[in-house]
Amino acid sequence: MGTPPGDRLETSEPARLRAFARSPGTLSLLILVAILAGWEAGGRTGVLDTFFFSTPSAISVKAWEMLIDGNLLFHTLRTGYAYVAGVVAAIAFGATVGLAMGWWRRFGDVVDPYVVFFSAMPRIALFPVIILIFGIGDLSRTIIVFLGVVFPVLFNAYIGAKQTPRLLIDVGRVFGYSHNRLFTAVVLPAALPYLIAGFRIGVTLGIIMIVVAEFLAASAGLGQQIAVTAQSYQIAEMWAWVLYTSCYALLIVRGMDYFERWTMRWA
Amino acid sequence: MEEPSLEVIGVTKSFPTAQGRLPVLDGIDMSQARGEVVSIVGASGSGKTTFLRLVAGLEEPDSGALKLDGREIDGPTPERSLIFQQFGLMPWLSVLENVLFGLATSGLPKDEQRDRANDVIGRVGLQGFEDFHPKALSGGMQQRVGIARALAVEPRLLLCDEPFASVDAMTRQTMQTDLLHIVTQQKVTVLLVTHDIEEALFLGDRVIVFSSRPARVIEEVEVAIPKPREHSVRVSTGFQEQRAMLWELLQATA
Repeated sequence: MGTPPGDRLETSEPARLRAFARSPGTLSLLILVAILAGWEAGGRTGVLDTFFFSTPSAISVKAWEMLIDGNLLFHTLRTGYAYVAGVVAAIAFGATVGLAMGWWRRFGDVVDPYVVFFSAMPRIALFPVIILIFGIGDLSRTIIVFLGVVFPVLFNAYIGAKQTPRLLIDVGRVFGYSHNRLFTAVVLPAALPYLIAGFRIGVTLGIIMIVVAEFLAASAGLGQQIAVTAQSYQIAEMWAWVLYTSCYALLIVRGMDYFERWTMRWA
Repeated sequence: MEEPSLEVIGVTKSFPTAQGRLPVLDGIDMSQARGEVVSIVGASGSGKTTFLRLVAGLEEPDSGALKLDGREIDGPTPERSLIFQQFGLMPWLSVLENVLFGLATSGLPKDEQRDRANDVIGRVGLQGFEDFHPKALSGGMQQRVGIARALAVEPRLLLCDEPFASVDAMTRQTMQTDLLHIVTQQKVTVLLVTHDIEEALFLGDRVIVFSSRPARVIEEVEVAIPKPREHSVRVSTGFQEQRAMLWELLQATA
């Protein structure tokens, strides 16, 4: 006599539970809960100095308030505007110039020293000059994001176009592709993985650039709020801003993951 | 004798190296009739591939002339399509798109390009794989795409650069038979370069032997086996005798 099917279903229940408990997602979540619980307990028992570290509960309250009173939205939009404008401009410019440098070799050879110089330069050092010229408005921040993002994008596009396999170029030539057509049909798609890698580095660097720029000089924005709340010892608020900023960064990086997977479906 | 399709007169080619110019081709003369399959054999590094690239128009000779149907060869064109040893498929394109890649400059209407591509995909035995990307295919199947792409443009001269050297031995023999059937049926003029004597004999009407670098033509042999040929001719006495003879020749030049 075999086991009735009902029995098997019952025995598989705990197995499924075990599998759930062991899944990496569940474990990650458990670790997060443990950290938050430890932080809260540490704050309440006085092991952690709440003056510097606050507590998750106090931070949550502040975070909720910001969400409700529109403060979060306001500063997010201010930062987001400059960030998106800077990133879009940098990707458009960097990808175009980088690909052109890789494909039109003479152009690349002429421009190469400048690219190396500017990419080595700590561009945040230019920020005071930019403020001087363009004031402390959105334009300055857009420019600083642009400068942060443009070089990794440009450099990767340059390398991507330069390393297009000779074989694939020969294939294009054999089938009668003109120089310009080779660029769109072969070089551009062959450089795509490099381009995407450049975008990834660029958008991450852009986040750092805008937050630091807002520390230095801004009338509003996420980085400015972190700086202001820290300077006025509103520690719970400060942590809330830090966490929101980190969440945005995480969303952007995850978004890049999906974008990368979507563009590289064939790989 | 029929009007020659491909004519090569006194072609030389050298490449610059740190130690000065390295001569690769040392006065190549050959001609080929329309519909003929010519195999060029030579040791690795003998300059056969360089020669094929000259015929394709991917390189220019230092001196000498190459003509196809009376016209000087000047740059690459799909009328001399090429099957590459390393396949040369665009990894981001599907099988169908890779074949269409070759037809894109043909000036044919889009639907005609599509019909031709589908037809030739069927002839190389890839029906059902149209939407696959190269990465999902075996080496042999990838080269079938390469063959389809080269045939779809209906070249006046089909160039094959060690087409099966990157394919495993079992698959190689099947693919040689398949390619032979297709080119025989369609009366395609084929210039094949290979280091594989058996491949040269099995596919060729004539075999040209290159010396080791710098390459000269040291022998031309008519293949004494009538077409159509089946896989079984490989074990025939005539085949084996010619194979042994060519092997001796190549040994002597190495």
